Amino acid sequence: MSAVISMASVGKTFGDLRVLGDVSAEIGAAEFVSVLGPSGCGKSTLLRLIAGLTSFEDGSICFNGAEVTTPAPEMGFVFQTSNLLPWLTVRDNLLLGVDLDAAMQRPSDAAFAELVETLGLTGFEASHPHQLSGGMRHRVAIGQALARNPQVLLMDEPFGALDALTRDRLNMELLRIWQRDRKTVVLVTHSISEAVLLSDRVLVMSERPGTIVEDVRIDLPRPRDPSVTREDPAFGDYVVRLSKLMGVS
Amino acid sequence: MSASPITRDRLISIGFFLLLGLGWEFGVRWSGVQSYLLPPPSAILAELWQSRAPILAQSLVTLTEVFWGFIIAVALGVPIAALIFFSRTAKRTVYPLFVALQSIPKIGLAPLIVVWFGYGLTSKLIMAFLFAFFPIIISTLGGLASTPAHLEEHFRALRASPMQSFWRLRVPAALPSILDGCKVAMPLAVIGAVVGEFVGSNDGLGNLILTASGSGHTKLTFAALIAVTLMSLILFYSVAYWERFIWWRAA
Ligand SMILES: Nc1ncnc2c1ncn2[C@@H]1O[C@H](COP(=O)(O)OP(=O)(O)OP(=O)(O)O)[C@@H](O)[C@H]1O
Ligand SMILES: [Mg+2]
Repeated sequence: MSAVISMASVGKTFGDLRVLGDVSAEIGAAEFVSVLGPSGCGKSTLLRLIAGLTSFEDGSICFNGAEVTTPAPEMGFVFQTSNLLPWLTVRDNLLLGVDLDAAMQRPSDAAFAELVETLGLTGFEASHPHQLSGGMRHRVAIGQALARNPQVLLMDEPFGALDALTRDRLNMELLRIWQRDRKTVVLVTHSISEAVLLSDRVLVMSERPGTIVEDVRIDLPRPRDPSVTREDPAFGDYVVRLSKLMGVS
Repeated sequence: MSASPITRDRLISIGFFLLLGLGWEFGVRWSGVQSYLLPPPSAILAELWQSRAPILAQSLVTLTEVFWGFIIAVALGVPIAALIFFSRTAKRTVYPLFVALQSIPKIGLAPLIVVWFGYGLTSKLIMAFLFAFFPIIISTLGGLASTPAHLEEHFRALRASPMQSFWRLRVPAALPSILDGCKVAMPLAVIGAVVGEFVGSNDGLGNLILTASGSGHTKLTFAALIAVTLMSLILFYSVAYWERFIWWRAA
C-alpha cells in the first residue's frame, strides 16, 4: 500500500512550547485512521500541519509524494469549531468550498440534494447558520468539505458536539461515503469507541509534547455498524487496550 | 386583556414627553418669561406651520449639502480605509495625515473653506464631508481588522485567492462596523453643514437660525432648530434602516 500521507520526525514548537515531539507515521490510500490523545497534546496542530496550514520546524510531511507547503485542493478540512459564514445560507455555505475554486464544478442538483439528505439538512437549504442548532452547523461544515470531493478528509472532532444518536448516524454515513469513494480519512476524536468502530488504525498520542506512542490496527470485519460495539467481543478488547494506553481505567 | 409591554413602554414615553411639553408651556406662561427669550411650544409649533414654506425650502438646501457631503465621505472613506489597511506605506503616510487633520478644529477651518470655495453649495458640502469622513475611516479600519482568525484560516484551507478573501470574507465581516461608522457620521454631517452655513451662506437652515435669532425672531429660530433636528433624526434612521440587510452582526 502506497502512503498518501507520510510524516517523518515531525516536530513543532509555538514559541517556547514544544507541542509535537517526534511524530512519524504513514497513512495509506483509502485508509481510515483515527488519532486519539489527551486534550492539548497537539492533535489539532498535527492536522493543521498535514493540511499545510501551519509551518513547522522539524521533519517533513509528504502528500502524494510531494512536500506539503500550502493547502492542497485534494484535501478537505473539517475544523474543530464549525467555520460557517453567517451571511451565507446553508446552501451557499455548503457550496463555498467549490465556489472558491475555479477548477471545481458545482455538484449537479441531484448530487447536491443527496448530500443535503445525507447530512439530514433537507428543508434547511435556505436557512442561515444562526438559525441552526450547533450540531446542524457541524453537519454543514462536514458537507462543505465533502462537496469538494477531496481525496483526503481531515476531520478535527467533527462530531464532538452531537448527541449519541446523531453521532452514530453520521458515523455510519461517513463510513458509507468513505467506502463508496475510497477516501483517505484522518479523524481526530476523543471517543475511544468511535475510533474503534470507524478505523483501520488508531494512532494514540502521548501528553504534550505529542508523539505517537502506539499504532493500533483494528482488525474488525467490515462493513461495520454500531451493533459491533455490543456484539463483537473483539471490539471490547480493543476499547480496553486503547483505554489502558490512554491511561483511562 | 392587558396591554402588551411594548405598547405600555410606548405610552410611558409618549406620556413623559407630553408632560415635559406641558411643563414648558405652562412654566413659560406662568413665570412670565418674555417670549423672545423662550417662547412656549404652542407658539413654536404655530410658527413652524406658518413658516413652513421657507423652512422647507431652506431644509432642502441643507439636505442637499448633507447628502452629498455624506455620500462623498462614504465613497472616499471606505476605499481609503481599505488602502490604509492593506498598504504599509499608506498606514505610515495617509493615516497619520488624516489623524492630524482630524485634530484641527473643523469649526476653525470653516471660514477658510468659505473663502476658498465661496458662499454656495461646495463649501457646505465640504464641511459636511469633513465632519463625516473620519468616523467612517476609523470604523472601516476597525471592521476590516475584525475578521475572525479562524475564518481566515478556513479560507486559506479552501485556497481562496486574496481577492476572494477580501470580497467574500473581509468585506462582509466589516459591514456591521462600517454601518456603525455611518450612523455616527450622518448626524455629524448635518452639524458640519449647519456650521458651514453659520460661517458663510445666504441660505440653508443654519443661515435661517442665524438670521432669525439675530433679528430677535426667537420662535422662528426654534422652528428652524426643530427642522434641523427632525432632518438629522430622519437621516439617522434612514442609515440605520440598512441594518436589516446585515443582520449577521448579532449572530
Ligand atoms: N497558534 C498557537 N499559538 C500558540 N500555541 C498554540 C497555538 N495553537 C495551539 N497551541 C498550543 O499547542 C498545544 C496543542 O494544541 P492543540 O489544539 O493541537 O491540542 P489538541 O490536542 O487538539 O487539544 P484538544 O483535544 O483539546 O482539542 C496547546 O497547548 C495549545 O496551547
Ligand atoms: Mg483540538
